[in-house]
Amino acid sequence: MITIQSLTKSFGKQEVLKSIDLQVQKGEVVVILGPSGSGKTTLLRCLNFLERPDGGKVSIGDLQVNCKKPSKQEIYDLRKKTAMVFQHYNLFKHKTVLENVMEGLVIVQKQSKLKAREKSVQVLEKVGLAEKLNAYPSQLSGGQQQRVGIARALALEPEVILFDEPTSALDPELVGEVLSVIRKIAKEGITMIVVTHEMNFAMDVSNHVIFMDGGVIVEEGTPTEIFRTPKEERTRQFLKRITPELTYDI
Amino acid sequence: MNTSFQLSYVFDFLFKLLGYVQITLFIVASSIVLGLVVGLVLALPRMYQVPLLKQLSAVFVSFFRGTPVLIQLFLIYFGVPELLKVVNIDVTKAPVLLFVILTYTLNSGAFLSEIIRGAVAAVDRGQVEAAYAVGMSKYQAFVRIMLPQALSVSIPIFANKVLANLKETSLAFTLGLMDINGKAQSLGSLTNHFVESYIALSALYFVMAILIEQLFLWWERRMHRHEQGYISPLQELKFSHTARRLRDQKEDALFNSTQGLS
Amino acid sequence: MTLLITAVSLIGGFIIGMIVALVRIYRVPFLRGLGAAYVTVIRGTPMLMHLFLIYFGLPVAIDSFCGFVGIHFSSTSIPILYFVFIAFSITAGAYSGEVIRSGILAVDRGQVEAAHSVGMSSVQTFRRIILPQALSVSLLNISSEVIGMLHGSTLAYTVSIREINAQANIVASSNWKFFEAYIAAALLFWGITLLIERVTAFLEKKMNTYNRGGVA
Repeated sequence: MITIQSLTKSFGKQEVLKSIDLQVQKGEVVVILGPSGSGKTTLLRCLNFLERPDGGKVSIGDLQVNCKKPSKQEIYDLRKKTAMVFQHYNLFKHKTVLENVMEGLVIVQKQSKLKAREKSVQVLEKVGLAEKLNAYPSQLSGGQQQRVGIARALALEPEVILFDEPTSALDPELVGEVLSVIRKIAKEGITMIVVTHEMNFAMDVSNHVIFMDGGVIVEEGTPTEIFRTPKEERTRQFLKRITPELTYDI
Repeated sequence: MNTSFQLSYVFDFLFKLLGYVQITLFIVASSIVLGLVVGLVLALPRMYQVPLLKQLSAVFVSFFRGTPVLIQLFLIYFGVPELLKVVNIDVTKAPVLLFVILTYTLNSGAFLSEIIRGAVAAVDRGQVEAAYAVGMSKYQAFVRIMLPQALSVSIPIFANKVLANLKETSLAFTLGLMDINGKAQSLGSLTNHFVESYIALSALYFVMAILIEQLFLWWERRMHRHEQGYISPLQELKFSHTARRLRDQKEDALFNSTQGLS
Repeated sequence: MTLLITAVSLIGGFIIGMIVALVRIYRVPFLRGLGAAYVTVIRGTPMLMHLFLIYFGLPVAIDSFCGFVGIHFSSTSIPILYFVFIAFSITAGAYSGEVIRSGILAVDRGQVEAAHSVGMSSVQTFRRIILPQALSVSLLNISSEVIGMLHGSTLAYTVSIREINAQANIVASSNWKFFEAYIAAALLFWGITLLIERVTAFLEKKMNTYNRGGVA
């Protein structure tokens, strides 16, 4: 459903993405792993053009965008098909929880306020924040804020939700509540691309793991393939560093 | 000048000056409102990097921030008629008030454009990214997300400029304008009780300043009700009660730590 | 003359401001309230008022005092310039007081504790640790105060001191060439202001490298 073809991106002289090719099926939960600076976050941000790729093609559903010279309309259309959950939540600070979720529905999708409200309350219930509808972001814990962030993405009913290290900014004891929400919606068959360092989460939930390093996809496969029988030396090194207790057969 | 000080004059003058307050307030209000328009026009080319206009705006801002208001008043008062004479428009009959407002408008515009730029820069980039991510257009993101947040950030600095304008209007009398200061001058020379008239005048300015400040504090608290435990930078340094308490706590901390040695 | 007025009032203001700030931070009873009231009143009224009140009020006060004590001294023998100095020092004092105080309050508490932990006394801590850091924090505020006082010095003309602006006025009245004279004055002020801003930017850059420490 999502196809990325020879996507490239440089920051100045530094080539961050070197011709990335990737296919994601509908309903897949894709986890992107890799050391910091490997380009995984950039790849994610290129998918909704928060970062403008230099070249290549991105297609989501029936929309195909040539990254070399995308039109404004194409970018908006792409963004309407995607939603993002940010590392630092990025909730709209001046709006309540409910307003944060409703904003996109009312302003972008032009839904009626009544309908948007109904939908928003429904997704907020799903992430367990039904009692916090009228709170402002600053009154919530990090974990709660991130759940609102997820609700905001979910409410838009996008074809894919992009998660950019959704638990990296959280205190350790709050990671669990956010992961369990992501797990829950993963089981509902929503397509997701997740950049994360949570190995256990990657193993349990995903059905497609990608390992990136130095701006290229080094290896991809099922979680079992990647975690148990990695083919590439670089993957092995990385997994060893990050999960020393993990044992795999060579 | 040999007349001795009489308190009764102060009250008498205070009462007489009250009738001229609206002129002073009118100058402040109109210059701020018009100044906002000028400020936005000046800020836009610099925020969106429009060549040439960007530099022009920078020079304009630098000039009005880099020269005393008094000189700006004179320049506009004597300069604008000269310039307009070239294109055959006679404005020598135009009321002084017009030139005064023009000066304070241009001056405020220069300052406000910097405030606008600073406020927009102060809004977290993630906010705009989130707006784009839910599919908003540039314009929607600016109006719905950026502007409200920028506005609430900039209230204290904005308030400071309004207060500065109030105080700077006291200069308009040099062009012969009958605002509260002009009136105080004439009362002073009429009765030869200058000291009393200036005490009354100062009291009047002071009260206006405090009232305006309270107004902004109230507005700011409204805008920031979504932030818990928010302390206004305005409160930080000035009059209000809560402010004093918060400040005292801060001082306590410092005080205690400097005392800790004994 | 402009620069002299600016410099004197800034120095006077710095001394007053330092006293006010210290009195308030170290919570000297009574004086502390007085300091707060002084700052509030001065900041709430135009600089021009301070000038007028001193210029018109002080001679009355001095004369009646001298008459009362029986000294033969007339306030008319005091040059106008002195009144300007006093008035502007009072103005600058209130603003400096706030600049210094907010600068001091901005210094991290841990710094003070660290100073105590190596055995410094309160005075040593203030002089060697708090003050230098407070100054670098307040650099921008100081610079805008200097510019404010520079621009404020033009007010002196209203009690007819011959500084740049008054000069322009005099030149202008004799030639009826107001515009040119004021343009010249404006350019001069503009130049000095830009210079102050440059110096500030330079100092800031220097301090920032210093703040980052020896690691390149």
